[in-house]
Amino acid sequence: MVQERRILYEHLDVPDINTFDVFRQYDGYKRFEKTIKEHQPEEICDMVTQSGLKGRGGAGFSTGLKWSFVPRDIEPRYLCCNADESEPGTFSNRYVLEKNPHLLIEGILICCYAMGISTAYVYIRGEFTLGKRMLDAAIEEAYRHGYLGKNILGSGFDLDVYSHPGAGAYICGEETGLIESLEGKRGQPRVKPPFPAVEGLFHKPTVVQNVETLCNLPFLMGQGVEWYTSIGRTYGDTRFDPPQSDPNTGTKLYCISGDVNKPGVYELDLGLTAEELIEVAGGVKGERVKAVIPGGSSAPILTHYELECRLDFTSLTLWKSMLGSGGIIVMNETRNIVDCLLNIMKFYAHESCGQCTPCRWGTPWVRDIVQRIADGEGRQTTIQRPRFGIAEGGRWGDTGEMEEVYEDLDLLESVANNIANVDTMTWNTICVFGIAVSWPAVSYLRKFRPEFEAAIREGKLVTLPVEEATVPPEENYAYQQRIVPRLFEAPA
Amino acid sequence: MSNELIQIETPFQFSEENQRKFDKLIQRYPVKEAAMLPTLHLAQKQAGYISPAVMEHVAELLELPVMKVKDVVTFYPMFFEEPVGKYVIRVCYTLPCALRDCKLVLEHIKEKFNIDVASETDLAKGTTPDGKFTLLKSECLASCDVAPVVMVNDDLYKNLTPEKMEEILDGLE
Repeated sequence: MVQERRILYEHLDVPDINTFDVFRQYDGYKRFEKTIKEHQPEEICDMVTQSGLKGRGGAGFSTGLKWSFVPRDIEPRYLCCNADESEPGTFSNRYVLEKNPHLLIEGILICCYAMGISTAYVYIRGEFTLGKRMLDAAIEEAYRHGYLGKNILGSGFDLDVYSHPGAGAYICGEETGLIESLEGKRGQPRVKPPFPAVEGLFHKPTVVQNVETLCNLPFLMGQGVEWYTSIGRTYGDTRFDPPQSDPNTGTKLYCISGDVNKPGVYELDLGLTAEELIEVAGGVKGERVKAVIPGGSSAPILTHYELECRLDFTSLTLWKSMLGSGGIIVMNETRNIVDCLLNIMKFYAHESCGQCTPCRWGTPWVRDIVQRIADGEGRQTTIQRPRFGIAEGGRWGDTGEMEEVYEDLDLLESVANNIANVDTMTWNTICVFGIAVSWPAVSYLRKFRPEFEAAIREGKLVTLPVEEATVPPEENYAYQQRIVPRLFEAPA
Repeated sequence: MSNELIQIETPFQFSEENQRKFDKLIQRYPVKEAAMLPTLHLAQKQAGYISPAVMEHVAELLELPVMKVKDVVTFYPMFFEEPVGKYVIRVCYTLPCALRDCKLVLEHIKEKFNIDVASETDLAKGTTPDGKFTLLKSECLASCDVAPVVMVNDDLYKNLTPEKMEEILDGLE
């Protein structure tokens, strides 16, 4: 069985680790001291690039590359730490904030030192009241001990860190939505470009990073690039491995919930398979896995045929899904996929910010169609295929075959694909919320079509056995279109 | 002409302590407008909900048109424009909690208080007549490993069953 490798979460359960003194005993802020003594800011950026660290918030964008876009000649620059954790199925940041807030501050210190930033805002979800209290207390302690404020440790480096509460809007987790919200406006995402790295908060260059990404920095700086890149599964043992040119290094805080025996956060090397992760989480509760959501509710679903897929940023993209925020939700054989989709679509219909028409109108429309199907009122029509010939009675007429068509299913796919097209990966909205809606809608429908058809046919929700509910791999678009990198050949 | 009385709301003022907090807050940002969300949180904590008077005061403090404040208040689900109960109960209703029977918990609360779930446009239907509890459905509260979860004001309750919920609600005074 795959072993946990606790790095970020290593001291999470130490009593009082949230206080400065205890945190110091466990190497707290020493990695920052080492960084500031041994490295120039530019060196740190190079190290982050070399480490292959990818943003843990959802997009999996290279952190080093993002930093390289920030112009060094415009002052001031800002850091926004994204602690607006609202993707359904994700809960790893909450524990960091509530139990080990000093680790986040240390990560912020390193990032700001590297980027020459002197003001950082931590945007915390409005619902994280305990997390905010803990972080505020930690920030105050850090000020008291001279790790924040003016001329930190006599190095001439200044940094102010402030926490900023959100107010319950999911869209503020999107980086430009977060910036708008921080500026005191509605959290409606901006048109990109310009990207925040060039023009962000208060129209100044801004780095937006997730809590988990920042928490990786102290360990990366403390133990070096070589150590960091050695973490992560070595590739090449199955034919579905991503190319080595795009390494997925480091650990990931996998949040697993739903039908597993031991739900929780597991810190594991990036790149284990979905099967292995379920095993680590105590196996499936119930008889067998029906479906797995691999990266928060926005990610396209995986069927039980696709569990050999590796859970890392590159592999899941090749499998037409995504790791996203690393929130894995497992469903067993008793779950009805139509019902699950309805729940998710209600979420998105509620959370659409209303800025772009396709999303504002499309999300409630998708929800209503799924609701109709779940209520047993899904539309179905009989159509006649066009064919001209000699009909009954010996006259010319339509002789095409009659066919049952699930009208609502076509409509569902059409509406979803018009918010954002899943096949071409183009969205008709400003931000990626559009694709976060159509991805689940289309993938659930295509991969579990028999269950949708049964609901319309029978006029009620019918939970089919796993094999019958799932489209076989030969007909599964994602399985068929998955990109299998060249076969790994062992050197002779 | 109707003889209806027009009720004039009493103007809202921050308490001394909150004013001090606000003065500290405002220094954090290069633009006053940016202090909007924390200021509204502070005001809601004091007044219970964001009434037009509160909006006006916040607008004055931040040197903004009142409309800008209203704009923000209507966008975020955590701000209430009508009075709510002393305890706001948010039942997480997103997928991971739904897979763990949050429905039972919600139904139990509905039955216990004989109220409906409040919607953003109609908070009154989800509030008990004595003004003690308001029931809301909430989106993912980011505690899926201990689902189903319920937030009562600032406190999170985990691994709930209808029985546990009953106990918690009875303990609230």
